[in-house]
Amino acid sequence: MIVADQLNKHFKIYETKKGFIGSFTSLVSTKHHVVKAVNDISFNIREGEFVGYIGPNGAGKSTTIKMLSGILHPTGGNIEVAGLSPQKRRKEVARKIGIVFGQRTQLWWDLPLRDSFDILKEMYKVPDAKYQQFLKLYDDLLQIGKFMNTPVRKLSLGQRMRGDLAAAMIHDPDVLFLDEPTIGLDVNAKTSIRSFLKELNTKEKKTILLTTHDMDDIEQLCSRVIVINHGQIVLDGTLEELRRNIGLPSVMEVQYRERPKNVTAKLNGIEKMRWDHDKLVLMYDRSVLSSPSLLQEVTKWGEPVDIQMKEPDIEEVIQKIY
Amino acid sequence: MVYWILLQKSFMRNLQYKVAHLINNAASAIFGFVFIAIWAGVLQGKEQNSPYDVMDMTYYIAAAQCILWVSGFLTAGLNIQNGVRNGAISLELVRPTNFFLYVTSQEAGRLVYNFFFRSVPIGLVFAITVGFYVPQNVLSYLFICISILLAIIISVNLHYLVGISACWTTEVAWAHFVNFTLLAGLGGQMVPIDFLPAPLSVLTQYLPFAGAIYYPVMVFLEKASHDVIWIQLFWAIALTLLNLWITERARQKLEIQGG
Amino acid sequence: MNLYLKLLSGSLRSRMQYKMNFLVSSLSYGLIMAVDFVLLAAILQRFDDVKGWNLYEVGLLYGISSVAITLYRVFGVEIHNFERYMVEGEFDSLLIRPVSPLSLLLTKNLDLSRIGGTAQGVIILVISIIGLRLDSFDRLLLLLYLPVSIASGTVICFSLGLLTATLAFWTQRIKDFQTFTLYAPFNAANYPMNIYPGWLKIIFFTVIPVGFMNYTPVLFILDKGGSIWNLALPPAVALAFLFFALRFWQFGIRHYHSTGS
Repeated sequence: MIVADQLNKHFKIYETKKGFIGSFTSLVSTKHHVVKAVNDISFNIREGEFVGYIGPNGAGKSTTIKMLSGILHPTGGNIEVAGLSPQKRRKEVARKIGIVFGQRTQLWWDLPLRDSFDILKEMYKVPDAKYQQFLKLYDDLLQIGKFMNTPVRKLSLGQRMRGDLAAAMIHDPDVLFLDEPTIGLDVNAKTSIRSFLKELNTKEKKTILLTTHDMDDIEQLCSRVIVINHGQIVLDGTLEELRRNIGLPSVMEVQYRERPKNVTAKLNGIEKMRWDHDKLVLMYDRSVLSSPSLLQEVTKWGEPVDIQMKEPDIEEVIQKIY
Repeated sequence: MVYWILLQKSFMRNLQYKVAHLINNAASAIFGFVFIAIWAGVLQGKEQNSPYDVMDMTYYIAAAQCILWVSGFLTAGLNIQNGVRNGAISLELVRPTNFFLYVTSQEAGRLVYNFFFRSVPIGLVFAITVGFYVPQNVLSYLFICISILLAIIISVNLHYLVGISACWTTEVAWAHFVNFTLLAGLGGQMVPIDFLPAPLSVLTQYLPFAGAIYYPVMVFLEKASHDVIWIQLFWAIALTLLNLWITERARQKLEIQGG
Repeated sequence: MNLYLKLLSGSLRSRMQYKMNFLVSSLSYGLIMAVDFVLLAAILQRFDDVKGWNLYEVGLLYGISSVAITLYRVFGVEIHNFERYMVEGEFDSLLIRPVSPLSLLLTKNLDLSRIGGTAQGVIILVISIIGLRLDSFDRLLLLLYLPVSIASGTVICFSLGLLTATLAFWTQRIKDFQTFTLYAPFNAANYPMNIYPGWLKIIFFTVIPVGFMNYTPVLFILDKGGSIWNLALPPAVALAFLFFALRFWQFGIRHYHSTGS
């Protein structure tokens, strides 16, 4: 469904002087160095897969997505999305894909959500019957009916994101590119969006490529993970493989009233333990050891005055390991 | 002195864009050439019926195009409306600084910048191409400085008035349009106000707009008596007092309504 | 077409949410342009003509030029404010649709407040046509030709706007160019070209061809010179210039595809 074959994207960074004239002299100047934003990436995503595309900032994630959607043209290599080259047939590909950028909305800011949908319906030439079906289905899935007549600028971030997701599905695309769809949302909104995406993938058999900073998105949604760093793929496999490679431990920090003398990690699932000043830092695998049972265990060792749970920062972990 | 620092910072901030502004200056000069061409076309063969000949009008337009950059093209509403929109104005009004001076000193920095990087280069372009008047009397230079300074004070106050009105209306774009139109039209940017039709030509002499462009240009060209400075002084003081009073009213309004 | 209507009505409704503001801004925009013309009238009332052109003759030029640039400002608002798409990186979102970016830009928004300027231009045209006291044949010719002239002017203005906007693919910011490529030339085109020094005339008949939209045809219609070809030139120049502008725009988009900023 989505094929990248030895994909490359190099940017020439011209040495410009600052300011206005500088941007002009860069037109004629030939002094530059090449940055390989995407360096020989190949993957093949089959129909119905839900793939997490992760990596630290500047690793080449969004450059890849931009190439897959036809915004950028690759320096080298080939892309096929739904059987077509987005570089050569951008408009046809646009009909087959849906794109959501979490950071900016595709909706018409001053118009009610319904008007945005009406406009998109015309843009993608969706037949009336299909359109009515769409409105009904997505009201069921995302409960957008409640704020259909509210101008987009007045929606909450969570509502807006639901609207954006529905807008991306209006032409019933087979492929979805989601660039950080859960960024900045609260827990409830995240949960509802995740269950929606799950449903799209399992019931509607949509092929989805997702970039995210949120480890929970990956854990709950993705059957496959592609990790990139410095423009290259460093891992392409299942969530289990990712876990095996980089651990991805959850972290619990416990501060005791008095530092206990006997601390023994006998529990299965605790991967690492260390003292950070007077705080005990525990790293553990949540799929093996649940947080409540670990909590129970640490209270046996002494009297805790403060306990903090921390999610591993995926970016940080990847950058450290590769 | 905090206002002096604000003025300097604003000057430096504008300095970053000086190359872009120099390109814009070329366009500003073209506007001047168009006005001069119109006057040359209008006065051709009719100079004996006019108080000014073609050379006078060339000097007039050239000087007006330069002065516009320090007393005409100011920041819309001095950006006060932005503070009203995002609520920052409540904070700014309770600072231990004087809000009026806080706003106007920043604009002053920009105008000092405009003088060096807009007015002077544009004046040079005119000097090379069509000629630029050089005042003959040494004493005139003193009056020119006073007149330009008062023109700036008048214009800054007019723009402040537009900006502070945002406390009541929130939207000032149209007020700025109207203010600028009156400033350019009745201030004599293109037509010296004594050329205007009868009732208007008398009335406009006593309006603040003439004090912002027409009088300083005429003082510069040594064509006006120095008494016009009194009219400018009157408006500079009156508008400043008015603005201080309105600022106080705005403060009270915000204190009561909490923004 | 259906899409276009949808988009236009959408833009209209989003504007109408700020009714008062819309009314006042279109009024004041009309006012700002009217004052300019009133001043011109004041000068010409006193001095009769500018190099052989009386108030109504100049009014004809003035009206065509004002209507042309304001129509561009109404329909081309997103082209005019294109630097936003570069500076804020919003251009990407135009490239993910099954429609060309230019059509998306043209349909995204209308700046109806500029209609006030168009109305003011039309009023000046009406006053001028009445004041000119042409014989019935010339008046008919003028009335028939005006739409051609205005359309040519709007196309020339749009092309200039598009050329300037395309520069943003390299320079990001274009506001400072617009004074040079749009405001100053269209201000100049309010008045007859024969008042300008040679080098300005050359610019207005070549790289920034605003002289063609009104001066060239009006010269012939008012029997001030030129031949019947003066009537064919404006649409021809406008179309050629539009073609060139579109090519340059395409070139700019290709540049964006390969550099992305």
